[in-house]
Amino acid sequence: MQEAIPYRTTFHHSLITHSPSPASPRRDGMVAKMVADNAVIVVGRSGCCMCHVVKRLLLGLGVNPAVYDVEEKDEVGVRTELEALIHGRDKDEKVLHFPAVFIGGKLFGGLDRLMATHISGDLIPILKKAGALWL
Amino acid sequence: MNSPSTQFVSSRRMGVYDPIQQINMWGENFKSNVNLSALIGEADGKFINQPEDASHNTLGTSKMYGQEAHRPIDKIQRRLAQNREAARKSRLRKKAYVQQLESSRLKLMQLEQELNHARQQGLYMGGASDCNNLGFTGTVNSGITTFEMEYGHWVEEQNRLVCELRGALNAHISDNELRIIVDSIMNHYFELYRKKSAAAKADVFYVMFGMWKTTAERFFMWIGGFRPSKLLKVIVPLIEPLTEQQRFDISNLEQSCQQAEDALSQGMDKLQQTLGDTIAAAGPLVEGPYIPQMAAAMEKMEALVSFVNQADHLRQETLQQMFRMLTIRQAGRYLLTVGEYFQRLRALSSLLASRPREPA
Repeated sequence: MQEAIPYRTTFHHSLITHSPSPASPRRDGMVAKMVADNAVIVVGRSGCCMCHVVKRLLLGLGVNPAVYDVEEKDEVGVRTELEALIHGRDKDEKVLHFPAVFIGGKLFGGLDRLMATHISGDLIPILKKAGALWL
Repeated sequence: MNSPSTQFVSSRRMGVYDPIQQINMWGENFKSNVNLSALIGEADGKFINQPEDASHNTLGTSKMYGQEAHRPIDKIQRRLAQNREAARKSRLRKKAYVQQLESSRLKLMQLEQELNHARQQGLYMGGASDCNNLGFTGTVNSGITTFEMEYGHWVEEQNRLVCELRGALNAHISDNELRIIVDSIMNHYFELYRKKSAAAKADVFYVMFGMWKTTAERFFMWIGGFRPSKLLKVIVPLIEPLTEQQRFDISNLEQSCQQAEDALSQGMDKLQQTLGDTIAAAGPLVEGPYIPQMAAAMEKMEALVSFVNQADHLRQETLQQMFRMLTIRQAGRYLLTVGEYFQRLRALSSLLASRPREPA
């Protein structure tokens, strides 16, 4: 049974956002570490509006996701790193689409899967189990 | 010889008597007293200058033949009266016709204005997409033309399915048979979402702003279609009775749907904002059609395709979830109510469109 969560409209959460900057360029393994360290992390291209949708959906549920903005120049590197984490049986499953959501250190999917899971009522339990939500 | 009525018809537009008919009339009664050839000659000369008003001729007639017997004169008077009546009616018809022409002309001017305006909008938003598919710019978007045609068929099929469903629910057919009809309607909706996705690739603005929908439907538009949470809120009260568990589950569905919608809406706001910033940063237009910021702006516009797809995905998921939570009979009632709701919206649009415009 789902607990009814009050929906907050204007919402300013301090997101744990990491983007590579000139001062601290992306180090190998940085993304993978963030995936492992955070209950929920959203990895998307910087400035992408779909990424924003994912973020706002999770925030609206009371989740404080980590966010990793991928610069265009780093995209290939990040993609390789993350695809290595995916345990897929066939080649198709190993392809990563941005924005990508990782829950409990594992690839969950994109906005499609997020919305479908939320509508079917299964998302909140998954988030709770991963420790992203407490009630 | 020609009957009077035929003569009236042929000279209707002129509102003028056919002099031959008059001659016939006169000739019939005054053969012995009238120089027919002289009359014809006179009539020919008078043809071009034939006055509209009947009174002239009446006067002329009575002056010329006033001394004759009463019976023939009565006949003449009657026929002249009929002429006058016919002429009057003819004038009224002409007046009505002209009025109709005037209003059509006004409407045409209005339509031209609207189309120009829409075309302007299309030019502003740039890109290869044709805002209107009427080929003004010389190019026709085949993807949209196909969609328009397919959507027309879809609506027809939808009406047929709704009718079939209504009949099935009233006839209390078995659950298995009802399931078949319900499944076909669900699949019909999914088919529409697929077609919309293809159309969005052809012209995202066309789909986004519901150019393919009727006016009343467009009023409720949210990212290329109806707002799914609103639909739930409107339709669910109409499919009672529901169990307590069902009401609870539906309430949760409404909330989840609302949350997903809000996330998408906020994404759209961000897109508008970044697009606005990009265009503001573009600076004065330099030589050449494209500058980096414009290219970036156009790229952002393409993100709208994703939004339309995600919105439709949400609609589809919501529909499927409803289906999972209801019995087959309840699902049937739900789909019937939804179908009828949209039929009413389309009917409302038709009524609005056919309403006569008030004169300015």
